Amino acid sequence: MSQENAIEVRNLVVHNTALTAVRGLDFTLPAGARMGLVGESGSGKTLTALALMGLLPMGWQANGSVRHDGVDLITQSDRALSSRRGRTISMVFQDPLSSLDPVRHIGQQVSSVIRRHTQASKKEAERRTVDLFRQMSLPRPEQLMRAYPHEISGGQRQRIMIAMALACYPQLIIADEPTTALDVTVQKQVLRRLNTAVQERGSALIMITHDLPIIAAMCDTVAVMYAGKIVEMGPVAEVFRNPRHHYTKGLLDSQPTMDNIALDGSSRLASIPGMVPPLHSLPAGCAFHPRCAAATEQCMSEVPTLDDGPRRAACWHPIGATVPMEVA
Amino acid sequence: MILSKSSHLPNPAPLGVPASPPARRQRRKLPRNASLLVGIVLTTIFLAVALVSFFYLPSNPNIPVIRNRLLPAGTAGHWLGTDVLGRDIVAQLMVGARTSILVGAGGATLSLILGLIAGLAAASSGKIADEAISRGADILLSIPGMVTALVLAATMGSGALTTILALTAFFTPSFTRVVRSAAIGVLNEDFITAARLYGRGKIFVLIRHVLPNIAGVMIVQFTLYFAAGILTEAGLSYLGVGVHRPSISWGLMLNEAQQQVGISSPLAIWPGLAIVLMVLGLNLLGDGLRDVLDPKLARRAS
Amino acid sequence: MAIYILRKLAFFLGALFIASVAIFLLIRGAGGNVAAVVLGKGATPEAINALAHTYGLDRPMAVQYFDWIGNMLSGDLGRSFRTNESVADLVTARLSVSIPLAFSGLVLGLLIAIPVGTYAARNVGTPSGALLALVSQIGVAVPVFWAGILLSLLFGVRLGWLPTGGWTDWSVSPWGAIRSLVLPVLSLGLIMAAVLIRYVRSAVLDVMNQDYLRTARAVGMTRTEALLKVGLRNAALPLVTIVGLQIAELIGGTVIIETVFSLPGLSRMMLANVAAREVIVVQSTVMLIVVFVISINLIVDLLYGLLDPRVRATR
Repeated sequence: MSQENAIEVRNLVVHNTALTAVRGLDFTLPAGARMGLVGESGSGKTLTALALMGLLPMGWQANGSVRHDGVDLITQSDRALSSRRGRTISMVFQDPLSSLDPVRHIGQQVSSVIRRHTQASKKEAERRTVDLFRQMSLPRPEQLMRAYPHEISGGQRQRIMIAMALACYPQLIIADEPTTALDVTVQKQVLRRLNTAVQERGSALIMITHDLPIIAAMCDTVAVMYAGKIVEMGPVAEVFRNPRHHYTKGLLDSQPTMDNIALDGSSRLASIPGMVPPLHSLPAGCAFHPRCAAATEQCMSEVPTLDDGPRRAACWHPIGATVPMEVA
Repeated sequence: MILSKSSHLPNPAPLGVPASPPARRQRRKLPRNASLLVGIVLTTIFLAVALVSFFYLPSNPNIPVIRNRLLPAGTAGHWLGTDVLGRDIVAQLMVGARTSILVGAGGATLSLILGLIAGLAAASSGKIADEAISRGADILLSIPGMVTALVLAATMGSGALTTILALTAFFTPSFTRVVRSAAIGVLNEDFITAARLYGRGKIFVLIRHVLPNIAGVMIVQFTLYFAAGILTEAGLSYLGVGVHRPSISWGLMLNEAQQQVGISSPLAIWPGLAIVLMVLGLNLLGDGLRDVLDPKLARRAS
Repeated sequence: MAIYILRKLAFFLGALFIASVAIFLLIRGAGGNVAAVVLGKGATPEAINALAHTYGLDRPMAVQYFDWIGNMLSGDLGRSFRTNESVADLVTARLSVSIPLAFSGLVLGLLIAIPVGTYAARNVGTPSGALLALVSQIGVAVPVFWAGILLSLLFGVRLGWLPTGGWTDWSVSPWGAIRSLVLPVLSLGLIMAAVLIRYVRSAVLDVMNQDYLRTARAVGMTRTEALLKVGLRNAALPLVTIVGLQIAELIGGTVIIETVFSLPGLSRMMLANVAAREVIVVQSTVMLIVVFVISINLIVDLLYGLLDPRVRATR
């Protein structure tokens, strides 16, 4: 059964000696499925991704279980994990310039991944790299092989990163804000390449972003994170149309669209009051309650858990619930 | 690491009257900093010894007393014994501390002053002056300090003053570069622009705003060059081109010990130990001060 | 790349010119009348003038300067006032001691500093990392000549394995020459290592926090593999610069170590000439050393351009 799923995460906790940044995550991603992970900066999205990859920064530790390709990644050694990274599970990072080795040719960086995980000869790996570059619609792929990262544009660099991540047809690819560092004009192009490449390979995708339209366009399901926990998850269309958690609604209301941007100051663009609480002083009960208009006594003391069903939310007073909320 | 990017943002400049630069460095409390503590203790001990040597010495370190020659350590009146001419080792070490500190601090101070002038000039003048000063410093840096010292000794004769000048020639280019880059960092901050817009002159800005803000870096550098100066002075005196009698230097003592009694004598141990402890003390002090005074540098270096 | 090389060559030539002027002025200016310095106190004005005339020291400074440079370029480094020996001959005889000593000292320093510094960077915050930091901190404070004295005390006097000083020439016995160099090289190398460890450590630490190291691991390298294959190559960039800057230190150390172990190297010759006030010999030898250092710096710059494609493109 578990072979059917790209990844199964159970009670994932990520902490260092002082802080707990991810506080018990559960989700399952079937093979080939696409999930969006949204939340503000500091909600634990990136640490979650790094924990799945086994690439947590020094001092951070992951607990719980992450089943992938028949093993629990959390318990694997660095050596065992390294044989999977880039082959069955891979990741695209936020800043492609700092993420590529500045002193090695691009072609060498990509083809060495292929040679590492397959039996391909040097020549064969290089040929496949050129093919990959072509699939990524990179211009003049042969010349690009011998270019350095600083010599090409940001959009091209990110497509190189995607080519590198997808080179070995991984079961799961995690993209951590892959377009945040790019010019707006090339974002769409990069996403389109990523989308097709993932589709062609049948890989599962976890798309981390705070950009909701990207999720709407690319993912089947969405999980909304707040202060280290998933507060709502479900099919993208339904969650976005009828959010159940007040935080999700706040996020949706604060997205600019063409008709709510008004430059004359009469903007109807909403924002969520307050700020993401710092991890070392999380409020008791529901972590969102200080910013929530619907918070009650219960929200301040009791921690809500994700309810069951296809449209899960962790909220005492979900929007559209049969019992109407009374106190504000 | 990912989550702790909050602090170290410069305070916004006070609007209107940019009279004082942000005082963010003073506000940091002294942390419990082992290297600072050990550094302070060692440095203080040596400074105290040098000071005491002006008022009290167990015996005259330069007058030979032949019947006392090569007394072992622990002899009454001569804790660490005497040298081949019967001169007290403790007294020589005490006067040696004086020389080390005088020459080391002298060289560091002179090069600090010259480096400040050249570095501030490079940082605040136009591109051509900056390029000329920086390139000049680069070129001078490629002349080994030992070589400069030898040349000066050849032409001026050796002695404490020559050694100080040699250290100055050696350290000034590096001081210039440090001052220049620290000053450029400060000059690029917003409160400087504010001060200039407010109508303050260039010199005023340099003295009133830049100098206090690079003082931390300068103190740290001074300490480290002080230490390097002591090492260099010891080397030159060991070679016979530094200070000589009646001045006494730890390096000179080592030279005499090796020439006159051979290296297996304990006489070849004490001055070396003194050099190591004094230099270690100053280096630890410098590193410790860097953690306190200059958080930006500390994060990179440690 | 061509422009980069041309720029560096231009800087190299400029540096040589300025350094030669500086040395010339320092020696002629600081010393006053060279002939008087050479002859010492008590010389008659007639004798001083005669010597000055013989060596052309009474000509204008600029003429003397260009004469000196012209001669140096044609391989004539001048002659000793006292013995009339050719400086070039004096120098070449000494290089067979000084060059192996300095070069091996630097190589040994790097061979120690690179693995130890990398280990220290990977163990920041652990007891072994702290111990290494302390050891290198103490090492930096040890004067190189005292390290030489202690080592020859241990290996020469106590254990009797190696000579405590003196020189067996290569032509007499290569093995003897090597034995004479072991302790000097060890002293120089250990002290160089103490200095370099701290730079290696901070360069590796810096690289360890880079995103590209994480990418290397994300595509299948283990932590160690990424550090060795990707990290060290990148950490080499700052290190190349540091090694270039340490060349001046290295020469200072070599001068002292030659004295500690009574080796007949270039610097011992320099010291003797300083004592004898052989101004011309000192001037030419100093210039040779400076040419050597500046050439090393040129090589370092070119190496840097070779290692870092970004430098090639921008500067």
